[in-house]
Amino acid sequence: MVRNVAIVGIGQTKCGRRSDVTLSELVYEATKKGLEDAKLMNKEIDAVVCGSMPGYQCGINDSQYYIVDGLGGFSKPVIRIATCGSTGGSVFHSAYYHVASGLFDIVLAVGHEKMSEGDSQGVMSNVTDPFIQRPFLGGAPGVFALQFSQYESRYNISHERARAATAEISVRNHLAAFDNPYAHLKIKCTIEDVLKSQMLCYPIRMLDCCPSSDGACAIILASEEKAKKITDNPVWVKGLGYAGDEQWLGDKDFVEWLSPITASRRAYKMAGIEDPGKELDVAEVYNPFTWQELLWYEQFGFCGKGEGIKMVEDGMTEKDGDMPIAPSGGTLCTNPIGATGMQRVAEAAMQVRGTAGKHQVKGAETGFASAMGGVVQYTAVTVVSKNL
Amino acid sequence: MRNVAIVGVSQIPHTEATLDKSIFEMDYELTKGLIDKVGISKDDIETVIEASSDYWRGIACSNIHTLESTTGYLKEVSKVEQDGAFGFLYAYMRILSGQFDTALVVSDTKCSEIDMPFSNITNISADPIFQRWIGIDEISSAAIQAQDYMQRYGISEEQIAKVSVKNLKNALNNPYAHKKGRIKVDDVLRSPMLSYPLRELNCCPYSDGACAIILASEEKAKKITDNPAWIRGVGWGMDSYFLGDRDLVDTTVLKTASRRAYKMAGIEDPRRELDLIELSEPFAPQELLWYEGLGICKEGKGGTLIDEGTTEMEGNIPVNPSGGVLSFNPYVARGLIRIAESAMQVMDKAGEHQIPDAETALAHAIGGFAGEAHAVICLSK
Repeated sequence: MVRNVAIVGIGQTKCGRRSDVTLSELVYEATKKGLEDAKLMNKEIDAVVCGSMPGYQCGINDSQYYIVDGLGGFSKPVIRIATCGSTGGSVFHSAYYHVASGLFDIVLAVGHEKMSEGDSQGVMSNVTDPFIQRPFLGGAPGVFALQFSQYESRYNISHERARAATAEISVRNHLAAFDNPYAHLKIKCTIEDVLKSQMLCYPIRMLDCCPSSDGACAIILASEEKAKKITDNPVWVKGLGYAGDEQWLGDKDFVEWLSPITASRRAYKMAGIEDPGKELDVAEVYNPFTWQELLWYEQFGFCGKGEGIKMVEDGMTEKDGDMPIAPSGGTLCTNPIGATGMQRVAEAAMQVRGTAGKHQVKGAETGFASAMGGVVQYTAVTVVSKNL
Repeated sequence: MRNVAIVGVSQIPHTEATLDKSIFEMDYELTKGLIDKVGISKDDIETVIEASSDYWRGIACSNIHTLESTTGYLKEVSKVEQDGAFGFLYAYMRILSGQFDTALVVSDTKCSEIDMPFSNITNISADPIFQRWIGIDEISSAAIQAQDYMQRYGISEEQIAKVSVKNLKNALNNPYAHKKGRIKVDDVLRSPMLSYPLRELNCCPYSDGACAIILASEEKAKKITDNPAWIRGVGWGMDSYFLGDRDLVDTTVLKTASRRAYKMAGIEDPRRELDLIELSEPFAPQELLWYEGLGICKEGKGGTLIDEGTTEMEGNIPVNPSGGVLSFNPYVARGLIRIAESAMQVMDKAGEHQIPDAETALAHAIGGFAGEAHAVICLSK
């Protein structure tokens, strides 16, 4: 007998460089907003799950203790989940299982990050074994650049064509961020701006790449019975999926990438979705890099192999297209790593309950959210819906 | 609510330094050994929760490295970055949800691969603005707690020493334990002072070790073994963070967690109904304090309980028949090991440190400074 679980409250902080708050205060901001959104008192939260990227980033070991006051967690069951970039998704999944288990009725999930207080590329270069791969890595862009080159080569896609589509992706996300009050980067950019921006790691340029942001995101989940009392606009968690694949870069296929393929199929199966391209109304895809966004369409089954570019060229991924991708501006414009995966779920939920404001996709009823972690290794997928 | 059981547990012998195996190899050997022992295949494990720490392992997002050595490839996995007991709790919730029927929990630490004082790592969990610079760490916070405990209730150095004597003696019958020996109270009182009043023999070692547990839903459990250890009750909670905000001798968080576990398990009188306890006592005075928090004696009476011999192997409620954290401490895994040891007891598989007729056991884990977080798990036959 599977317990139905719903999202009943969402709280996001303004993201960017938040020198005005400590990590705990940042968490407090998100938690407080979540409680206000759900119209709940802190004491009504039965348990808390929190998480962030590798703890070297904030320079505090076991940060779950440090932020206890921001979480309202005193005397409550608290668990910290950490799966690198997929943390936000994993924390959300854990909170779901807390409620689905029957042990708790109302659970708070918080993803948090202060990127500004640490050396994120240095930290990310340690997301690997210390003997063989670590000297290689060059932070995040280094590895993903390999992925994108492989993609073009596998499907025989000309670099010009891929470059044109990814520049459009950049423009679309950056423009969308203006309609998201919480987004970090609000940059007016044209295709030409993207193509002229500083090269970081071929072919990734500055405007193909996410920023380093401070931010936190809180989501409150409740059992069906409690959810129906708390709100008449609950967002039902219909499907979850998670998978990790090879750690050794030489072992893995970057292009037919088993981690997101496996994770999404599990989530779709649970949600009863057979044709994601048709049945999903909006997809908040974790997109720290423009090229990777293209790859995600294919991994998640929104289109066939090698057809991601066509989705862009045909305008399908625009807010009013057939498959709106990241109408929030996505990870490309806002990336507080521990929170980002949770923001994708929050944004998908906001779409589905009709509270996405200026970036609302009309009539969205079923939403998709993803998060990615590790060195091209982990994917968390969540499907939410207005309908039980 | 679904019934969930532990169907198999495994430990790597805990040592000062396991030099011939990397953490990847340790986890592989451990996991393979466990699934073979239990008689299932890796495909039978539906979800894997790893409990490991980036700071203790020196790898960011630690489980990226050991995913493949713990059957995690392409499976529903996650990582709890806390004591292994919290990983266990998450795995338990996954099965309770009905979405999974089997789960594997793995936790490990190789303290020997850390080339800095361990106090540096625990000091890094102190906030960087106020507390870190005074050098507060796991041992000094436990020392402050011990001083307060001794002053408030008159707990003596001798009573504290008895914990070390008991646990190191118990460890002699545990082939997995790292530190063991037949010592006397005098030996403890003469050992070097590390952080007043904690002497070397009042303090845990730092070990290399790992532990894995397989859980299953009732239906699956009964197919796998006719001797599972049923999970009857759980509870966990977290205290305030700033040491000045806490009364370190106040065990309210432990009381709340254990009462929740007892209620779920239908235990009304833990002192009588529990056959044994495996608690987490990296510092000897904490064992006495946790007796009080767990409700097996009144407040302030932890010292009396050990004087009476109640918690010895032959006593009414043996505590730490395995030797406890004082005898082996692969840091992150220590709470999971308490669960494994408790399961071994109720499954009648504890070998030379078996408590006869053990049917109901309690496992306890802590996290943070001076027991900032507690987890309690009740198991029974």
